Amino acid sequence: MELAVITGVPFFLALLLATPFARSTFGKSSQTLISTAVMAALFAGLFIALPRLQAEGVITQTLTWIPSLGISLSFYLDGLSLLFALIITGIGALIFFYAGFYFDDAREHNRFIIWLLAFAGAMLALVLSGNVLMMFIAWELTSITSFVLIGFKGATDAAAREGAFKALFVTGAGALALIIGLVMLSAVAGQILYPHEDIRFVGDFASILQAQTIYKHEWFTLIAILILIGGFTKSAQLPFHFWLPGAMSAPTPASAYLHSATMVKAGIYLFARLSPVMYKNELWISSLLTIGLLTMLVGAYFAVKQNDLKGLLAYSTVSKLGAIVAMIGLPQQSGLKAAFVAIIAHAFYKSALFLAAGAIDHATGTRAIDQLGGLRRKMPTMFWVTVVSALSMAGMPFLLGFVAKETLLDAMLHFDAPRPQFVMVMVVVVVSTVFTAMAAYMLIYDVFMKRPAQRLHFHQPASWIRLGPALLALGSLTLGFLLEPLIIPILELAVPKAFELHLFAGFNEVFFLSLAILLAGLILFLLRKPLIRRITFPFSGDEVYREFIAYLEWAGTTILHTQSGYVRYYLVIILGAVAGVLIFSGKLSDVIAGQQIIPSDLSVTITDLAKIFMLILTVTAAVFTVLVREHVKAAIAYGVIGYAIGVIFLIDHAPDVALVQLLVETMATVLIIIMLGRIRAGTRLKVINSLWTGRHGHNVGLLRDLGISIVIGVTVFLFSLISLQNRPQRHSIAEWHLTHAKEVNTDDVVGAIVADFRGTDTLLEIAVFTTAALGVLTLLARGRKRGGALTPVKAQVSALPEFDLDVVDEIQDATSLSTPFTRSVSFIVLPIAILIGMAQILYGGNGPGDGFTAGVTIGLAVSLWYVVLGYNEAKNLLPWFRPALIVRLGLVIAIVNALFPVSIGQGFMGHVEYDRALGIYEIVGSFGLHITSSLIFEIAIAIAVMGGLGIIIEAIAYPTDRSQDLAEAHDAERN
Amino acid sequence: MIELLFALSIGMLFGIGVFQLLRRDLVKAAIGFAILFSAINLFFVAVGAFEGEFAPYVSNVEAGRQTSDPLIQALILTAIVVSFGSFSLVLGFVNIISRRYDTVDSNDINKLKH
Repeated sequence: MELAVITGVPFFLALLLATPFARSTFGKSSQTLISTAVMAALFAGLFIALPRLQAEGVITQTLTWIPSLGISLSFYLDGLSLLFALIITGIGALIFFYAGFYFDDAREHNRFIIWLLAFAGAMLALVLSGNVLMMFIAWELTSITSFVLIGFKGATDAAAREGAFKALFVTGAGALALIIGLVMLSAVAGQILYPHEDIRFVGDFASILQAQTIYKHEWFTLIAILILIGGFTKSAQLPFHFWLPGAMSAPTPASAYLHSATMVKAGIYLFARLSPVMYKNELWISSLLTIGLLTMLVGAYFAVKQNDLKGLLAYSTVSKLGAIVAMIGLPQQSGLKAAFVAIIAHAFYKSALFLAAGAIDHATGTRAIDQLGGLRRKMPTMFWVTVVSALSMAGMPFLLGFVAKETLLDAMLHFDAPRPQFVMVMVVVVVSTVFTAMAAYMLIYDVFMKRPAQRLHFHQPASWIRLGPALLALGSLTLGFLLEPLIIPILELAVPKAFELHLFAGFNEVFFLSLAILLAGLILFLLRKPLIRRITFPFSGDEVYREFIAYLEWAGTTILHTQSGYVRYYLVIILGAVAGVLIFSGKLSDVIAGQQIIPSDLSVTITDLAKIFMLILTVTAAVFTVLVREHVKAAIAYGVIGYAIGVIFLIDHAPDVALVQLLVETMATVLIIIMLGRIRAGTRLKVINSLWTGRHGHNVGLLRDLGISIVIGVTVFLFSLISLQNRPQRHSIAEWHLTHAKEVNTDDVVGAIVADFRGTDTLLEIAVFTTAALGVLTLLARGRKRGGALTPVKAQVSALPEFDLDVVDEIQDATSLSTPFTRSVSFIVLPIAILIGMAQILYGGNGPGDGFTAGVTIGLAVSLWYVVLGYNEAKNLLPWFRPALIVRLGLVIAIVNALFPVSIGQGFMGHVEYDRALGIYEIVGSFGLHITSSLIFEIAIAIAVMGGLGIIIEAIAYPTDRSQDLAEAHDAERN
Repeated sequence: MIELLFALSIGMLFGIGVFQLLRRDLVKAAIGFAILFSAINLFFVAVGAFEGEFAPYVSNVEAGRQTSDPLIQALILTAIVVSFGSFSLVLGFVNIISRRYDTVDSNDINKLKH
């Protein structure tokens, strides 16, 4: 089965279930069955790969992604990945089934499993990826989905929000270290594998694992520290462990799945994955061993101190994760077997315990251990599930957990270290496992057997909820006897050395130590009342985290004080920095030194004279915009600038650009004028009157602004002069465009580049343009009521006396422009504009004009209606002009047109000649037409641009309800 | 000679645009913003289009004529449309500020940062 498919299926299913169609079609039970069946099928698909894996060792598959950068989607399946992938899909199937009965509300359930499916896909991508970069992306995806799942009840539960943020903050910070470590690792691997090349990043695990001498590299210490931080944060190791108990606000199925069985083991996966090239380094293994053992001890101790049932499980998970990390840190990879057995055993018993806890929570409404009790008769299945799983956790013979503890103790006893060190390690391991046994007895007795403090509320959950936990407990019970057929074949692939694994290795020292631990745990359990809560730690990681967040907030407030909010302030800093860099690096003097500012050749041609005239016009108009008092005149002067530049483009042999420039500048000028009509004349008058006088009656500000602008203007002048005098030779790609344009059936090379050669670029540009249009809409649509009255309300203004609305606003009333003459002009112009637009699209290949100009032309004609007729009448007379729909139509056509060539084996945005394919090439050719993908793309551009313009015009021309705006402003002021 | 004049105009347009942005009048600041865009577009086309004597059409190329650089023109063509999009966003900001605070004087709205 394709690994890419296995990874993609959960994502696809998540998307599918998120559609309104699926939500209304499939009920809770069908969604449960579908998700469970899919995970089970994935499990089966992975299991089938086992024989092939035994034959080949490793399966790799690669999909090209960005070949020019050497980045690919590569998948890598070996024993280690298989072990994790089987846990993810196998436990996943049971969790998805359980979730169907955990949630009562169907909508909540739908939302939950969408995110859980997305998580499952991310987690599979993490363990199946063959490339550090892809693994990192999946790593971050698991953090993000985990954030959503922890904060699932965040709308009503502050603790859930805080827990979610904490988890994201800690794992996100660790991931930052991790990505640096991974990039450095791939650079080092590149140096080792390709010593004769400059810089080469080798990101594939298959190659990195070949670079056996990584641990000798001078960067290795740093790499090891960064990767360790990444893994420790993810796998909740000391001192970052505190986020995991905080994550218990997640719904229990998510806790069981993410925060016990899978995601928290991602760090462990990474350590095990890199172990073959890292384990020879002393720092690497001693950090793993030390931190792992500390985490094991602290987690086990905190677990028995918890009163929250899930808190106990969370800390005991922390402890177990520490134990596994410590085993990976044993010298010569001798602990790998024990680590993997522990991962399997832990997945079984801890998920079962979590699911049982969820059922108890669901039934009684509480998770407080001191309130629970006496549930043995009410929930017999959950009782036996808990008995088996807790005893497996404690290491009772002959459960699966017993095998795990035996191998752990065995590995530790063979730890070849100096005597004092060995004794310390053994003490930590034994004390931790004693505490773990004690926690197991507490789970059984305190929750199910002791008399409850008061009468408990109880309602029996749906009976199917028992299936998942029961199957998991069955696994803990029987898998110890099925090591040979089921567990060992997988472990053989994952563990590098030959090994033995028995359910019962005989009456040796390990066996007796194991029994002693169980007994000691029992004694501690009986003495727990006086013992617990005696010892307290002086500080916790949680407090450090809180301090840190408080410090961050303080720093943020402090930094905010440096923000003045004045544009000049930012401009001076930005330009000052640039100037400083230029001057102090000596670049500026180097460049200026070789330049001749005043040219020796002062001759001008006739076309130059025309250009000079236009340049003078441009600058004069620009000066005019500054000096003129009335805004409308400034807007028209701006229009002159745009037109003059358009003419310069025309003279400079850029007819397409000139046409777009002329149209767009017309549009811009119209837009400014419409907008001016929406601002009160009095408001504008106030600012116009104070334009040349400073706030305190002197003109320091004016001089300062002049100074800044002159410095910037001179800099830009020098820069452009140097660029113009040293303009580069035409780039070769332009020559290529010129000679190959006829292959896409166009005469106009610029049009060919826009619609074809650089089509993806254009696709993104129209997306940007429509996004900007949506931005305008969002800005101006505030307070607009859906389906509300379109006429502005003129009331209640008197309630706000400080806003004087007596000033008559002469342009406010757009209908004053509506004379019979202007009306008939606007009626005639629109159809003509549409005709011109169509001609520009269809014959754009042979002359100036393309989709952009067509869209703007039609948009201009429509905006004329809005200007002349006003919003309401224009809207009534043009019922077909629905900009939001038009934009969507344009973008959809563009994307479909871009994707279609992929389906027939061409690339994205490939050139397709539809007229040739349909056999009408000669017929349409006789009209001078070519029906190609470029033509369709031009149509899409025109539609999208027209729609975008429509959105902008509608938003700006929308009649405002000023009294409401002012009331809102007042509210904002008060808050 | 013409290079000098072009550079001079571009520099002046840029300086004027910045000056408008620095002043208090938000309407004129928006116009200044648009002038900045024009200056930049003018600069790019000037750099790219000088050499050619003819528009970049295949028929001109086949006739052996020296055409201007089509690539930079294609880039500027889309840039003009996109800069219009951001310009309308600026106009939207001015509009909403005037509606909510009843002013187009940037000194009056310094409270927006909090």
